[in-house]
Amino acid sequence: MKEPLPFDHRPDPLMGDALRQALEPGDAAAFVARVLARVEQVRAPSWDAVLARWARAGVAAAVLIAAAAGYLVGRAAGTPTGRPSLDDALLAPAPPGDVEIVLASVIGN
Amino acid sequence: MPDPPAPQPQPAVPRIGEQDEATLVAQARAGDRGAFGALVARYATVARRVARAVLGNPDDADDAAQDAMLLALVKLDQFDPRRPFGPWLLRIVANAATDRRRRRTVRRAEPLDPGLAAGGSRPDVQAERRLLNERLREALAELPARRRMAVVLFDVEGYSHAEIAEILGIPEGTVRSEVFHARRRLRALLADWR
Repeated sequence: MKEPLPFDHRPDPLMGDALRQALEPGDAAAFVARVLARVEQVRAPSWDAVLARWARAGVAAAVLIAAAAGYLVGRAAGTPTGRPSLDDALLAPAPPGDVEIVLASVIGN
Repeated sequence: MPDPPAPQPQPAVPRIGEQDEATLVAQARAGDRGAFGALVARYATVARRVARAVLGNPDDADDAAQDAMLLALVKLDQFDPRRPFGPWLLRIVANAATDRRRRRTVRRAEPLDPGLAAGGSRPDVQAERRLLNERLREALAELPARRRMAVVLFDVEGYSHAEIAEILGIPEGTVRSEVFHARRRLRALLADWR
C-alpha cells in the first residue's frame, strides 16, 4: 500500500470514512428541533421574566422620583421666608435698606 | 513529470451555494426563524461531529453544538456577509466545545465491553465496526483538542487548510502540522484493521 505523504494536502477518504462513522451523531432532525425550540424559549421570555423586568424598571423610576422630590423639598426648606428683619435691612450692603422698614422701626420706637 | 494538480477537497456533503447561504443569513438576521432553522439543519451534522471530536461524549457534544447555534443567532449581526458562513459558525462551535471541555469535570470513560477490549472473537462485521469506532474515539481522545478538530475538519468535512486555519484561528502551516500528527497517530491504529 502506498504510504501517504506526511503533509498530504488531499483528504484521506479511508480516514475520513472511519472518523465519520466513529463520530456519527444521532438523529439530526431531533437536534434541529431541539435547537429551534430553545430559540423560541429565548425569544418568548416567561411571565416571571417580564414581570421582573417591569419590577426593575419600577424600582428605578421610584428611586429617581424619590431623589427628585428630596432635592426639591430640601431646596424649599433652605429658602428664607417672611419679611427681612431690621438688622437684615440695615446690614444689607446695597441697595440701602428698605425705607419702609426703617421708618416703621423709627415710628415704633 | 510534474505532479497533476491537486484536486480540491470535496466536502462530505454538498455545501449550500454562496448565494443561497447569503440569502438565508440575511433572512435570519432580519428575524426569519425559518431561515435560521435551515442554516441549523444544514450545519447540524458537521457542528455535532466537530463538537464530539473535542468532547467525546455525544450528549456534551450536542449541548455544545446547541449553545454554539444559539450564540451564532445572537451574534449574527456581527457576521460579515461577504464571507462564508460555515467557517464562521464552526469557529463558534469549536470555541463552545473547547470551553465546555475546560469547564466540565473530568469524567472517566466508560469501560469497553471486556470481550471487545480483549480483542476477542469478532462475531460479525457490526461488532467489529463498533470496536473500531470505539478505538478511534479513544485514539482521538488522546490527541490535543485542536489536532482532533483539524483532522476531522480536513478528512471528514472536506474543509481546506486555509478554511480550517480561519476556523481554528491558527496559521495554515500549523493546520498542516496538526493534520499530519493526527493522521500519523490514527493511521497506526487503523493499520491493524486494513
